[in-house]
Amino acid sequence: MRQYFSNIYLGVYSVFIGMAITFRQLFKPSVTHQYPYEHSFEQKKNVRDIPQGYRGQLFNRIEDCIGCKKCEMICPVDCIYITTEKLPKGERLWDSMNVVHLKDRTEIVGMIEGDEKIEADTTVSIQTRERGAVEIPSEQVARVVERKPVIFYLDKFDIDMSLCMYCGLCTEVCPTECLIMIDTLEGIEYSTFDRTNLIFKFAKPEMYDKPLDEAADAEAAD
Amino acid sequence: MLPVFQQFVQNPFPEFFAQAGSENLSQLVLEFLRSHVPFLATLPDPVLQLIAMLAVCVIFVAVVPLLPLFLVLAERKVSAHIQDRVGPMRVGPHGVLQTLADGVKLIFKEDHIPRQGDKILFIVAPYIIFACSFAVFAAIPFGKSILVSNLNIGIFYIMAISSVVVIGVIMAGWASNSKWSLLGALRSAAQIVSYEIPIGLSILAVVMLVESLKMQDIVMNQGGLGILSWIVFRTPFTFIAFFVFFISAIAEVNRTPFDLPEAESELVAGFHTEYSGMRFALFFIAEYANMFAVSAIAATLFLGGWKGIIPGYEFLGGTPGFVIKTMLLVFVMMWIRWTLPRLRVDQLMNLCWKYLIPISFFNILGIGIWVLIFQNDRNPAHIGISLLIIILGIIGAYLVLGKRSSQSPAPRASSA
Ligand code: SF4
Ligand code: SF4
Repeated sequence: MRQYFSNIYLGVYSVFIGMAITFRQLFKPSVTHQYPYEHSFEQKKNVRDIPQGYRGQLFNRIEDCIGCKKCEMICPVDCIYITTEKLPKGERLWDSMNVVHLKDRTEIVGMIEGDEKIEADTTVSIQTRERGAVEIPSEQVARVVERKPVIFYLDKFDIDMSLCMYCGLCTEVCPTECLIMIDTLEGIEYSTFDRTNLIFKFAKPEMYDKPLDEAADAEAAD
Repeated sequence: MLPVFQQFVQNPFPEFFAQAGSENLSQLVLEFLRSHVPFLATLPDPVLQLIAMLAVCVIFVAVVPLLPLFLVLAERKVSAHIQDRVGPMRVGPHGVLQTLADGVKLIFKEDHIPRQGDKILFIVAPYIIFACSFAVFAAIPFGKSILVSNLNIGIFYIMAISSVVVIGVIMAGWASNSKWSLLGALRSAAQIVSYEIPIGLSILAVVMLVESLKMQDIVMNQGGLGILSWIVFRTPFTFIAFFVFFISAIAEVNRTPFDLPEAESELVAGFHTEYSGMRFALFFIAEYANMFAVSAIAATLFLGGWKGIIPGYEFLGGTPGFVIKTMLLVFVMMWIRWTLPRLRVDQLMNLCWKYLIPISFFNILGIGIWVLIFQNDRNPAHIGISLLIIILGIIGAYLVLGKRSSQSPAPRASSA
């Protein structure tokens, strides 16, 4: 008998507890992100930003690519297409160089004059191709990377993002760390009306002071 | 601003009421036609009456389908916000036109009839359900004279006509020639037939107190003392009866946690699995119209109908007040739906036959004794006694049973 009434009490009590919880939820701000209209993730307080290391779109800093084709080989779905054209023996586009990464996230490409090891409280002078000699205080320098001499044209570096499965293998094997996956909001925006727009073209033939049509010729001859 | 608002709340159609001694809506329309439309006033009386009746029909046929239009959106918004979503947002500002768009979509859909099914029953079933849930509105008093018909067996008529719905459900289930539909229909039959009993018994408690089956009499009986003269608070037994009625009413209209006839996860969509297009829309409209009707009945029987909260002022009274009360109950229904999971079939029957029905019988006994002891049960002192008993009962239940049940695995409020 007592069990009977305590069952009733328990039933009513737990229903009211449940309803109290849902009523509280009713007034919590919703977590929905109205995506095409709200672009910034920071607008919503209780929405997490895209996590660091998110595997978004692939991006290639083509200036650092050495055309080793390691990424093309490891890609499980074969969606990276690279064609390179070697220069005649002995020729090189540019010699071995230093890439000086600055603390404000810009970089300077050129040869460091004198000792490559940077001491504190000195100025570093860099011989660049475009701007001649550039002097910067050494505390601005974040790190110095050596770039190998370039002995080829990188005619074509295409990634078909509609085939890519975001395994990230290509970014792991890349020796110069120039192929990366973008983990910001730009890295997730894909929508397009034409499928061919999903083939990302990273090669910049104009980088080599080589006319575009010649690059196309080289491709056709391949 | 305030006087205008107050006037609207008290009496939304002043010019009608100024002259109206009318008892129901068709008389109201008749008087309006007689006094305001001169060329009709010359017609013979029966013709005029016919016109008035048709006008009332048109009003109801036009207004009642608008209810689901609003309720479906409300349901989606409430459920969305309970789940920290936002619900439909695209059609119109904040998605207010979403149901309209859905309706248009349903009209354009193919009207599919299963080839092996029973064609006639299949076609008739939605209309039966639709018509029955409409017919209930005929006896619900929305205001002093905003009532289609003041039947002298009003509440009995409502019970009878809403029971016919189950025939439509079984017809739909049988005619679809689908196992899901049939299972849903059978479950629905068992459920509605079972829950009819506690509904009937808790209505009986009210009828015993009021000593009339007329809906208007029930409302009139709750006037005078404002919120205190509402039947819920009148006796401790009607307080229980209100909850019994509300729980059974949720089961009657097949809503979660009693939505076994539709149980999406088990029966696809239950008895309307095979329906599409406008026929499906009829089921849908009927479901929401039913929901509103049942809440309106609960508001009429227990929460004072169109009588207000504060005596004399009639604030929250009149038609707007009645609609507000009903909408609050509808909201509670939605709220319960998004709180509780679906019951199992045996739990459903357990709840009905082992708990609700014995409690209702106890109520009937209690009401009988109460009426015997306190002859004039609208005496404030008696209502005070009843309130005292209700409060003491709740506190007592908490002290006696709350402690005991905390030893067993009791549900605890999570901080989430
Ligand atoms: S991330 Fe895409 S492109 Fe890179 S290896 Fe995987 S599938 Fe290929
Ligand atoms: S692995 Fe890196 S360096 Fe080599 S071709 Fe691919 S992107 Fe260029």
